[in-house]
Amino acid sequence: MLLKLLKKEWALCLHPTSWIMLGLCTLILIPNYPYGVSFFYMTLAIFFLSMNARENHDVTFSMTLPVAKRDLVTGRFLLCMLLELLSLLAAGLMILLHRVLVPVPNAAGMDANLALLGEGLILYGVFHLLFFPAHYRDVSRIGVPFLTASAAVFLLIVLEIVLCHALPLFRDVLDTPDPQYRGAKLIFVLLSAFFYALATWLALRLSQRHFQKLDIR
Amino acid sequence: MSAILEVKDLVKRYPGFTLDQVSFSLEEGKITGFIGRNGAGKTTTLHSLLSFLAPDGGQIRFWGQDMRAHEQAIKQRIGFVSAGMNFYNKKKLRRITAVTRSFYEGWDEALYRRYLSLFALDEDKTPEKLSNGMKIKYMLALALSHGAELLILDEPTSGLDPVSREELLEIFLNLADEGKTILFSTHITSDLDKVADNILYLAGGKLKADCSLKEFTSSYRLVEYQKESLPAGTESLLIGERRSREGFTALIRTEDAGRFPLPARPCNLEEIMVHMEKEA
Repeated sequence: MLLKLLKKEWALCLHPTSWIMLGLCTLILIPNYPYGVSFFYMTLAIFFLSMNARENHDVTFSMTLPVAKRDLVTGRFLLCMLLELLSLLAAGLMILLHRVLVPVPNAAGMDANLALLGEGLILYGVFHLLFFPAHYRDVSRIGVPFLTASAAVFLLIVLEIVLCHALPLFRDVLDTPDPQYRGAKLIFVLLSAFFYALATWLALRLSQRHFQKLDIR
Repeated sequence: MSAILEVKDLVKRYPGFTLDQVSFSLEEGKITGFIGRNGAGKTTTLHSLLSFLAPDGGQIRFWGQDMRAHEQAIKQRIGFVSAGMNFYNKKKLRRITAVTRSFYEGWDEALYRRYLSLFALDEDKTPEKLSNGMKIKYMLALALSHGAELLILDEPTSGLDPVSREELLEIFLNLADEGKTILFSTHITSDLDKVADNILYLAGGKLKADCSLKEFTSSYRLVEYQKESLPAGTESLLIGERRSREGFTALIRTEDAGRFPLPARPCNLEEIMVHMEKEA
């Protein structure tokens, strides 16, 4: 059933700009750029996806399908997670290319390295927690939940830049070119993945609870 | 007869409107017409049945199963069409159907093709290129093609031309003969005069009638009169007096017809409804 829902989301809700946003992972190739911003664009893709779904009355249609109401939320989460996974894979590819094409440290925050993927996971986890539960209180409201979640994402990007200059763990270990401190960076990515999973699970549960109570008219 | 759907004390509160303890049940193979004026709560009731709305109270059981606990399995057996629905305007019908088809275990492709042909639907068109009537036909084609045992239809004949309406009513009668159950709300009460077995009449959020169409229409008679020719003491028998070109019309209860000195004739659903609403 979840696979069918994912296919439905892909076929009927996915907005074409998602591919442009995915392509913006190439920002990682720009020297001296806050690379965390490249993950923000994928959250923007989720915003467009949600807007596309709203304008096409996706919820009304989906409610007629033989699917439990709460599972419609799961379907949307699955598509968003798939997009995020694609963005992380693309970012990974850009990080490898960056080493070859732009082999200089980044003065504007985290280097293009393994730890950057961890940052992406944290940003996505926080975005899920702030965007989806607010959006599923009233699926017609997308702007305010997105603004709130985006503000948090940008604050975290600024915090990451500050930490890369101020905190030794970031400055001397995580914000270094690969393959230096690969073990520490891998642990950071794993912890970030754990946070992502936990935040997403919590966001899903809250969103389902809100959506179950929502009147769809 | 087994109950396909049992609704008990359904309550939904909005500021300024309450769907007030609505209870009814549907029998297998019957067509039930759901009537009431705009804002009476028909769509609220139908949407509550399908979990679009979260009711504030009451029980909804399909085939003896609680809707919330068995939503997925129950919806496999239901087809729902609403005239107000409008979705994926830029997607081709072919694509929407492909998605819909994948969700239903009992999808009958040959039947779907037959309805496409009957309704003259082109799958390469997008919903934005369809008239409202054609959109309803497309939704009906989807709803009728997955072997639904119960069809819940919210104004399915609105926007359809008279020929299409007649075709659709014929389909409903055939489906009922096959044992399918149909609940449909409409303002075109003449459609119900032709096909409905039972009537649910909702007014101001309360269920005013739940009976067979025959029982409902035979409960009242229509009288036409001039005010001055109305014998004294008979005014209290009149229900929902309305102006007409020739004078006035009103309902009287069938059991009062013998006591009423003027001729009274049988009436149809629309005549009953408009006079009862006037009385309310």
